[in-house]
Amino acid sequence: MFGEKAVELIKELDRCPTSLPPYNTDLVSEVNNEMRHLIESNQDDARSEEENRSLSGESLLPTIKCRHSAVIRNIRCLLAYHYNRLRVLRTMRWQFGGVLPSDIKQNLSHLEVEWLTKYSNSLAQYMRSVGEEGINLATNLKPPKSLYIEVRCLVNYGKFELNNGIVLLLKKNSRHFLPRSECEELIRQGVLEHLVS
Amino acid sequence: MEDDENLHALLDTQDDEENEIELSPAVLIEVMEEAWLNEKFSPEILPNKIDFVELLLGQLSAMEENLENVGDRDIKKTLHLLEVDRLRFLVGSYLRMRLEKIEFYVDHILKQENSRLENREDLYLTEAELTFARNFKEGIDNHFEHLMRVHPTIPVDWKNQVIQPNIHSFVFSRSKTNIESIIIDEGNDDETVYVNKDSQMIISYNSVSNLVKKGDVQLV
Amino acid sequence: MSLQPSYLPNYFSIDDILASQERIPCTFSVNVQKLGNLNPSSEETDLKAGTALELPLWLVQDLSTGRQPVVIPELPKVYKEGYREILKADASAVDLHKFNLYYFELGSYVRVFDRKSDVADTLIHAFTNRFRQLMDVIDSTEHNPTDFQRMDSLERRLFKESKESRMKLHTWLEHSTTPIETAAMVLNHKKRKRGTDL
Repeated sequence: MFGEKAVELIKELDRCPTSLPPYNTDLVSEVNNEMRHLIESNQDDARSEEENRSLSGESLLPTIKCRHSAVIRNIRCLLAYHYNRLRVLRTMRWQFGGVLPSDIKQNLSHLEVEWLTKYSNSLAQYMRSVGEEGINLATNLKPPKSLYIEVRCLVNYGKFELNNGIVLLLKKNSRHFLPRSECEELIRQGVLEHLVS
Repeated sequence: MEDDENLHALLDTQDDEENEIELSPAVLIEVMEEAWLNEKFSPEILPNKIDFVELLLGQLSAMEENLENVGDRDIKKTLHLLEVDRLRFLVGSYLRMRLEKIEFYVDHILKQENSRLENREDLYLTEAELTFARNFKEGIDNHFEHLMRVHPTIPVDWKNQVIQPNIHSFVFSRSKTNIESIIIDEGNDDETVYVNKDSQMIISYNSVSNLVKKGDVQLV
Repeated sequence: MSLQPSYLPNYFSIDDILASQERIPCTFSVNVQKLGNLNPSSEETDLKAGTALELPLWLVQDLSTGRQPVVIPELPKVYKEGYREILKADASAVDLHKFNLYYFELGSYVRVFDRKSDVADTLIHAFTNRFRQLMDVIDSTEHNPTDFQRMDSLERRLFKESKESRMKLHTWLEHSTTPIETAAMVLNHKKRKRGTDL
């Protein structure tokens, strides 16, 4: 059946909605091959249909229509595969910050890397444009209830300097009472855990 | 506060050095909170309130500067800093929601903005948002064109795929004034209803979208 | 992220693409040359008029319209009268997933294949009827996996979203604050890493 491979791409995304599976170069090129084959067959048949129009004989139009429909379907799956991957990538940009972990980066195609760089840049450009000194939209994700919060360190992070100049050593399992605004990003990135009594 | 238009009038004169009018922080915060709620619950992007955003951010910076001179142990300082934080969240969240809508509905929104430009109407997006939207669209378009380059002869229908917001989705709303008639979307024979000030209703967004933009209806 | 638009199928929507992959019974009304391999049970090169096959919805939609339809589609059996009667009798007792994972979405497409039937009304009736039960399941603290398994994809989406907001409301009422959390994707990434490290 036509379009089976293309829909495999979509199923792959459906299976893991919050992560990014490796870019499936092989399957994408198989889909491209199927499309190329369909397009070429249709061009051939369109030509012979044109030549034989005066002759009696069966029309190839239904055949062409089927293949055309399959081409359109393949395009839709192919674009949806790439589009939804870009959606995951943009969300990752918001959640991991500017730098993606290297093992995730491996899963990107080079076009996706390019796209993400451009996206990051245009996001940064936008954030700089708001207010006098710009605004960092990646923080303040939840309405604050207190200035200081209790946190537990999940990894050996090392030194962390607060705005008031105090330097802390963030060791695994150590607990701290920190200004919310300064440690929110570390919580989002999984370095600290917010303790709620 | 009468309505946003009066505020606009106030703000417009702000740049005018001769009669500078200060907008009270309380009013400003109220306007921002309403804008935030509307943007949060409206399925489509609403006209921007960047003037208020800029004003509020300016006031917040000024507040923070003033607070630096207050002793750390002052309880008032803590409360004020918390309030500043809360308002920064409000502004940040508001701008983030707009960016998300711009990304998701980018083609739809740019089309609407273009027709507004042609009709010389006010744009919904700020200049910076418009630049962001155009960059975003360009990014996606380039990506797709690269992919499709291997098939030079295919039909180009794929270029016109637009994601539209579901403007028929239902919203919770409260009227801020008496409203003579609301035309119920998809109702039988354009049914209309009279709505008292402060009544709350669950209604198809399409029926109240203009009233939300005008400031007569608040989404909650 | 915070944007959760009410579901409306679009060109890029994964659910819509998967729903349109479901197979629809149809009969060819003309000969289609060279495409005999669409029929797995035949070795012939051409597809003959009169051949009955199950084809994916996306293909059937294209081939059944236009001035000279290539195929005549039929309602899939789970939308035929027998099944509609079951839904009308007691929609909430039905394991909809067994009917079809995309029952409502697919139904909204296939209903045009039999314009005289009351597929649309049945779908609305079934949805309203099952919705009450869905709300009960969401409210209940007991977690019963079979409830979820019996839902179609639209119901599953509603279930997940409501369950999430219930949880948030609960935490908020309990602590009057919501903890700042590790971003979902970061968390996911950590878990996977831990998995491979072991």
